[in-house]
Amino acid sequence: MYSEIFKDHLTHPRNAGELADPSVVVEESNPICGDRLRLALRVCEGRIEEARFLAYGCPPTLVCGSIITEMIAGLSVQDAARLTRQDLLDKLGGLPSRKMHAAALAIETLRLALERLRGD
Amino acid sequence: MKRRVYLDHSATTPIDPRVVEAMLPYLTEKFGNPSSVHLFGQEARAAVDRARQLVAELIGAQPQELIFVSSGTEANNLAIRGIAERAAPYGRHIITSAIEHPSVRGVCQALEQRGWEVTRLPVGEDGLVRVEDVRAAIRPDTVLITIMLANNEIGTIQPIAEISHLVREERQRGHRHLWFHTDAVQAAGRMAINVAELGCDLLSLSGHKLYAPKGIGALYVRRGVQLAPQMLGGHQERDRRAGTEAVPLIVAFGKAAELARQELDARIERMRALRDRFERGVAERITDVVFNGHRERRLPHLSNISFRYIEGEGLLINLDLQGIAVSTGSACSSGTLEPSPVIRALGRDEELARGAVRFSLGKDTSEEDIDYVLEVLPQAVESLRRISPLYHRALGERAERSPSN
Ligand SMILES: Cc1ncc(COP(=O)(O)O)c(C=O)c1O
Repeated sequence: MYSEIFKDHLTHPRNAGELADPSVVVEESNPICGDRLRLALRVCEGRIEEARFLAYGCPPTLVCGSIITEMIAGLSVQDAARLTRQDLLDKLGGLPSRKMHAAALAIETLRLALERLRGD
Repeated sequence: MKRRVYLDHSATTPIDPRVVEAMLPYLTEKFGNPSSVHLFGQEARAAVDRARQLVAELIGAQPQELIFVSSGTEANNLAIRGIAERAAPYGRHIITSAIEHPSVRGVCQALEQRGWEVTRLPVGEDGLVRVEDVRAAIRPDTVLITIMLANNEIGTIQPIAEISHLVREERQRGHRHLWFHTDAVQAAGRMAINVAELGCDLLSLSGHKLYAPKGIGALYVRRGVQLAPQMLGGHQERDRRAGTEAVPLIVAFGKAAELARQELDARIERMRALRDRFERGVAERITDVVFNGHRERRLPHLSNISFRYIEGEGLLINLDLQGIAVSTGSACSSGTLEPSPVIRALGRDEELARGAVRFSLGKDTSEEDIDYVLEVLPQAVESLRRISPLYHRALGERAERSPSN
């Protein structure tokens, strides 16, 4: 049902935890199913230097949190803002259709973090 | 090779090799149709009769009181719809519990849409229906009470004999068209069952929960109880369930029932000892766990545990990748959360309902199996907690409350 990449991230999540000196922290939840994703970013001169996540909910939500931190670390804020749900899905080898909301939550949380960063 | 531990016997059991051996001739040379008059047919008929006797003995029934069906689900459908349709002239009210298996819940819902009224009794935090609630729910137009003998997620054993007592009192008062069905699919082979002691009118069984193959079940219908057949067009099963008998599966079910009866005490003792050892191990090794269901009044093979701060499915996949098979009662699909209705019915919050995992042992589960699970489980829980915002928040709050540490 799930890809090897998926299982790997589930059992060995990358960049889990909090950041000591984050530039921004946001926590979003899916109001319907209650899944939660927290992203913390440290940004320096328009580039994401470090990203950390915490997640609660079904496995795809946990995995999307882990994968998205890997995808955005080192990216410029502009490039990170261009990431789509499809980019995330490609990276993790697809998701069953009924679990798509996990990818949506991850992208949404990232957008919100970047917006808040710009607002500051 | 990595160890594989199957702790999902409430979902299904492996087929006992002795059962396979018993059914094999009926998949090969003994292929007759029990309705045929010739020797081939007689051979098959004799095998079906013998199996019926064996299944009847498992529950203390008479053989002619059993109807073979295709599954526990069909047994529940036949019982509930069969009684509801037959008794409709006398009333259209059904009493059931909030924690029935979907195969009971679904039928009740369908009847509701067709004009029946359904009262769903709550359970206490211990997962038990209160007999007083049943008494209070009975109305003059109540025709059926359907409450499971033992629950499939938490294993709690309902006070069936006490409810039967109520039903008999009602009948003595002139409430003649009232019947009592119990779903014993999870209970059979895991506790002693005697229909005379339980006092129910109908009781559902399924083969694959007691080491027979999938696709065979039975409904016990006490002598004299009439129900509307749901499968028409043949005289099989004394006109109550048409269709040529699944002879190999029936033979297998008979053998499995015989073994379950002979080995019941040993199986119970063994599973209970291992289950208790497992629960002690979990309580010692993992913090913030909640054991679900009444501690004593429950099946010996099952343990349902809520792990705070995490969700069951992540744990399930984590364990699966390490060779351990368990299950959860929740299903998260297309963004709508369906936390286990059973755990929710206990009054647990949503987090505990989502964090509930069922471990169900079998007659052949070993001490080594349990030790392996006790070794793997704490790490799996810990690794999911490490990434849980709920856990981090709780840790933070704890640190605030005791700043000296
Ligand atoms: C309590 C209960 N009732 C009914 C069923 C359905 O039985 P079957 O799988 O044979 O349809 C199950 C199986 O999960 C069960 O646990």
